[in-house]
Amino acid sequence: MFKGKKLVAVIASSLLGLAVITGCSKSDSADKILRIATPSLGEKELPVWEAAKASYEAAHEGWTVQFIQQDDDLYSTVGLPTLLNGKNSPDAYFEWAGARLDQRVAEGYAADISGDIESSGLKDLFNDGAFAGYESGGKLSMIPRTRDVTNVLWYNVDMFTKFGVTPPKTWDELNAACAKFKAAKINCFVQGNKDLWTVGNWGGHILSRVAGEALYAETLQKKKPMNGPEFVKGLTVLADLAKNGYVNESVNSIADNEAASQFFQGKAAFHPIGSWLIGTQQGEAPKFKMDFINLPAISGGAGDQNSIMAVYTGYAVNAKSSKKTEVMDFFKELYNAENAKKIADAGTVLLLKSLASGTLDPLTAKINALLDGATVVVAPPDTGFELPVADALNAAQAEAIGGKSTPQAALDAAQEKVAALK
Amino acid sequence: MKPTARWIPYFLVAPAFLIFSIAILGPILATFGLSLTDWDGFSTPSFVGFENFVRAFQDKIYMNSYWHAGVYIAATLILEVAIGLLLAGLVSAKRNTTFYRVAFFTPVMLPLVVISVLWSFLLNPDLGILNRLLGQIGLESWQHIWLGDQSTALLTISVISGWIFAGFYMAIFYAGFQRIPSTIIESARLDGASEWQLLRGIKIPMVKNLTEVAILLCFTGGIQVFDLVYVLTNGGPYDTTQVPTTYLVRVVFRDQQMGYGSALAVILTLVVVTIGLIYNKVRTKDDAVVEY
Repeated sequence: MFKGKKLVAVIASSLLGLAVITGCSKSDSADKILRIATPSLGEKELPVWEAAKASYEAAHEGWTVQFIQQDDDLYSTVGLPTLLNGKNSPDAYFEWAGARLDQRVAEGYAADISGDIESSGLKDLFNDGAFAGYESGGKLSMIPRTRDVTNVLWYNVDMFTKFGVTPPKTWDELNAACAKFKAAKINCFVQGNKDLWTVGNWGGHILSRVAGEALYAETLQKKKPMNGPEFVKGLTVLADLAKNGYVNESVNSIADNEAASQFFQGKAAFHPIGSWLIGTQQGEAPKFKMDFINLPAISGGAGDQNSIMAVYTGYAVNAKSSKKTEVMDFFKELYNAENAKKIADAGTVLLLKSLASGTLDPLTAKINALLDGATVVVAPPDTGFELPVADALNAAQAEAIGGKSTPQAALDAAQEKVAALK
Repeated sequence: MKPTARWIPYFLVAPAFLIFSIAILGPILATFGLSLTDWDGFSTPSFVGFENFVRAFQDKIYMNSYWHAGVYIAATLILEVAIGLLLAGLVSAKRNTTFYRVAFFTPVMLPLVVISVLWSFLLNPDLGILNRLLGQIGLESWQHIWLGDQSTALLTISVISGWIFAGFYMAIFYAGFQRIPSTIIESARLDGASEWQLLRGIKIPMVKNLTEVAILLCFTGGIQVFDLVYVLTNGGPYDTTQVPTTYLVRVVFRDQQMGYGSALAVILTLVVVTIGLIYNKVRTKDDAVVEY
């Protein structure tokens, strides 16, 4: 009997020890910590956040601001779910607007901040119309950060001048320009689709132009089959570019950064990618002259031929957090005019009044003008919709542009994958 | 000496059992539990029974990934084990072979990710050295998108894997050859045996156990191959180099299907364990090998 008691005591001690080791204790100071989760801020932007943290902590006695930074890919996949499900979940966290934000709201992780952003005065710092696209179910659910155009056609200015090509406005003009470059043995397009999302964005934009934005969205929401005639028509437009020899043969075997390098080295006339290429160009090829056009109009397309493909990012406030006011106060500090300018200098242009277009580099200002003037904004497959569905479409587009399958066969296979999802 | 109290053995085993439970048993059970759910990582997991397992066996990409792993294993048995054996034969036949042994073993010491990135530069279809070299020596027709063509991608990965690990197996076999008594080798030489005959008739049979271990390593390592494939092709083009691990990572990390991904992980674990058990079963039947 006594031995049995000893055994129980030993097990209890072990469990107690284990509890201590694994951190089952509660911290008394936890209530005054403001946790903000974000993908890596980069060495240029982080000091601005640190400065805002110092100012906030000085103005709010006893409070500590904690940044939880993760690698971008990790954050966007398993990182954020792990943080939100954790014991010390963040009070505010970086998120992409669209399907992801809707999912957070539905799961009870994103609060309605309509009233808080107004009463705190944070709203006054933003541009007019800056909040469009940040709602979920009609309620404002994010503090805006940036809007990135994810698909424009960047072109080599010197190459265009050399061959007397003017930026095309229609698909026919684009084909004519490509024919000219092909005759000169220059790739019209260089794209790196090893990870599938680059052609996924480019092709997604074409699909929305051909099939129409509504059908594009409904298809990616699994309400319509992926292998319908309009999608086949749209994918054929993309596949024809490759069929005509206008796209680099290595399209599916190189990564996006390799394609960008080739573009900067003058190996192609066009590079379809997002606005972040400006930062890459400034860092890697500052002397390279480039400009961009929105996707040219496709005749007979059912969609708005001036639509842009863009992704909106911002910070959601955790609905489970009781620190909404503190989050607003911190972002008021972070987004003041001085910090906003420093963040812009680091390459991220916030949607704030203090950042007048005159203070930005010409390409960034032009991108902002494109965003401001857009009447229709299309979400990219991978950030606007369910990932497995986007994955199926992206794989189909890779097969079509690589000439592995016909557009019909590629979309049939994609539909099969989508049908297998719940 | 017997313990003075009955609880002492339990007490002594407890720390190891706790660590084993936390580090191994717990995650395995948790993964199995998750495999029976539909979970995206955020919401509350919903129980779906064995639905994920049924889906896995109907998933062409996942099923094909085992075929790709099988092809990779078959290729690496030749490119790693067989060539490693031949290299060991070569370096053990001559004196002063330190340079060659170090040279062949060097790729094993480099991180796989680093090697993969280096090879992806070499094989870049537009700017890579290999295609440029072929062009410069007049072999333009041989230029190829090595990692982007479905007919060559898996083979190219296997060749790179062979380049890395042949040195590893060479080191194992070389150590085995060194343990063979010199009297046997010298006797054979006096009888007029050539180096090839020595290798085929004496050295290889006498390291049979090592060969079996090498084959097991090749199988278990092959089914778990990840770094090389992930960096070089990420499963592409068109999933033709997709292996179970890269597909698992895609399902869990990119598509956020934690429940389904857990089911794939459970199946992969069972496959690896089965290979190990079959190996043990086959191996224990033949223990009459002289060990030197």
